[in-house]
Parts: sequence; C-alpha cells; structure tokens
Amino acid sequence: MDEKDREIIRMLQDSFPLSPEPYRVIGDKLWIDEMGVISRIARMVQNGTIRHVGPFFDSRKLGYMGALVAMDVPLERVDEVAAVVSGFSEITHNYLRDGSPNLWFTLIARGKERRDCILQEIRTKTGIPEIKVFPSRRLFKVKVDLD
Amino acid sequence: MIEISDKERKLLRELQNDFKLEARPFKRIALELGLSEDEVLEIIRKFQNNGIIRRIGVAIRPEKAGHKANAMVTWVVPEERVEEVCKSMSARSEISHCYDRDCPPGWLGNVFTMIHGCDEENLLKIMSELTELTGIKPHQIFRTVRELKKTSMRYFTEEESR
Repeated sequence: MDEKDREIIRMLQDSFPLSPEPYRVIGDKLWIDEMGVISRIARMVQNGTIRHVGPFFDSRKLGYMGALVAMDVPLERVDEVAAVVSGFSEITHNYLRDGSPNLWFTLIARGKERRDCILQEIRTKTGIPEIKVFPSRRLFKVKVDLD
Repeated sequence: MIEISDKERKLLRELQNDFKLEARPFKRIALELGLSEDEVLEIIRKFQNNGIIRRIGVAIRPEKAGHKANAMVTWVVPEERVEEVCKSMSARSEISHCYDRDCPPGWLGNVFTMIHGCDEENLLKIMSELTELTGIKPHQIFRTVRELKKTSMRYFTEEESR
C-alpha cells in the first residue's frame, strides 16, 4: 500500500462520491486518472485490505435488532461450536478471544423472537446452556481507520 | 421503522453487493433493476438522509492496516457519562467500534470498544491514554485470538421476504 492508496482509502472512508462517475471524481481530487483509481481499489480488494465498497446500513432503521453475544466454550470444542454459530446468516462476526467468556459473535435479527429462536437452536445444538446477550443500546462508532 | 417502497427494497437488496469497479457503477445498478441512473442516485441520497444508510465508502481490515494487537475492552460507565465518554473514545482513530449495551445481570462493563494497536505495548499505551482522558479504567480486556467469521449482513434476502 503506497501513499496514493492511503489517500484513496481516506477519501473513500467517509464519502464515496454520489456522482455518475465516482472514480473520476476521486481521481480529479488526487491527481490520478480514473482507471488508476479503479485499478488501485481493485488491487486492495483483491489482497484483502478493503473488504467492502458500498453503503453501510443502519440495521435498526431497517427493523433489525443488533446484539453482541458471548459464550464460554472449552478450547477443544471451539471449531465445532464455531461452525454451528457461524452457520446462521444473521451472525456476521464471530471471534475467539482470551478471557471468559471466550466466544463472541454479533447477531442481527429481525425482531426479538427470531433472535431468541437462533439462540435456542445454538443451545440445543451445542449443549451449552449459558449464553450472554448484550443488545446494542446506542452505537457511537463503527469505522476502522488507517494509521 | 421507516417505510420502504418495493422499488426501494429492490435497490436496497442490490446495494448490499460491492459497487462495481467500473466507470459508471450506478448506471450498472440502474440497468439491472430497470431504473434510471438518476433514480438510483436519488434513492441512495434519500436513504442517506433518512439514516437507512449510515455511510458510503470502504471498509478495511484492521490487520491489513498494520494493526496486530486487537482487543475488545469493556468499561463501566455510569449512564450520565455515557455520551461524553463514548464520544471522546470514538474520536480516537485506534478505536473502530464503540457501543453502549444492555448487559445481563451481574455484568458491569456496559461500554464496549474495539481497540487496535500495532503491538501489545501500543495497545496498553492507548488504554492508559483513554483512562487519562476519561478517568475510567478498562474493566475487562478480551484480546482477539482468532477471527472465525466476518461477513456483511444481508438484509431483506429473498428467502426471508414475505
């Protein structure tokens, strides 16, 4: 990643131009031609630096409820339990962390009923009864910055 | 919850895919949905104005941006200080996520932050700076051991649409 790549990311983090030719708008500001902008973004998508180009939605405004969920899983069962958890499309992020509880995942469900239903299925399939749920009260920030 | 027309819902589904890396990405979407490029841009602006879209841009992977020490840190923040504390924490570029959450009985840390440091020493330094800034000490630290899944949410997918 060179300085121009960083400039593109910085510019794109907050404000993707809503113009018919967005990549040309970015290029004009950074003194790169349109194809240069496109090929740099394409390279960063391909090598995994960029994981999404597009809008980020407010799940609550769309009628969905977000929560962070935690379970304690014995280390030798992590892969097996993670497979159950990650199998739900409503569970978008899943991490093994140190400390207790150690398995943390995000659950975005259309209503509390659906959330409870997913959690019950996880309890049944894994045999782990204790699940901690942390519904989001207020979102202050979601944004990974450079530097 | 905001009312969404069928046309808007169709666009909303399409917008969950990455923008095409070509000169006229909105025209491409318009052609696929039988709308005009102007209509697509207009609905996107409307989604921005009513808050359905939080932001438009790129998401990067923290580990690719040189962050090797990542941790979820919880803080016990009294209700009357949540706004002020979370805002000053969110202003730091090393913090990617900051949420105030409802907690189960017996759980104290209500503010959850994701902190990204270039190494363990840097991570500890950021935490002590946050303590200096807010007067609140980290309650619990859950370092990232392994990413098991990371995707974007798909809203209004065909199988669950009524």
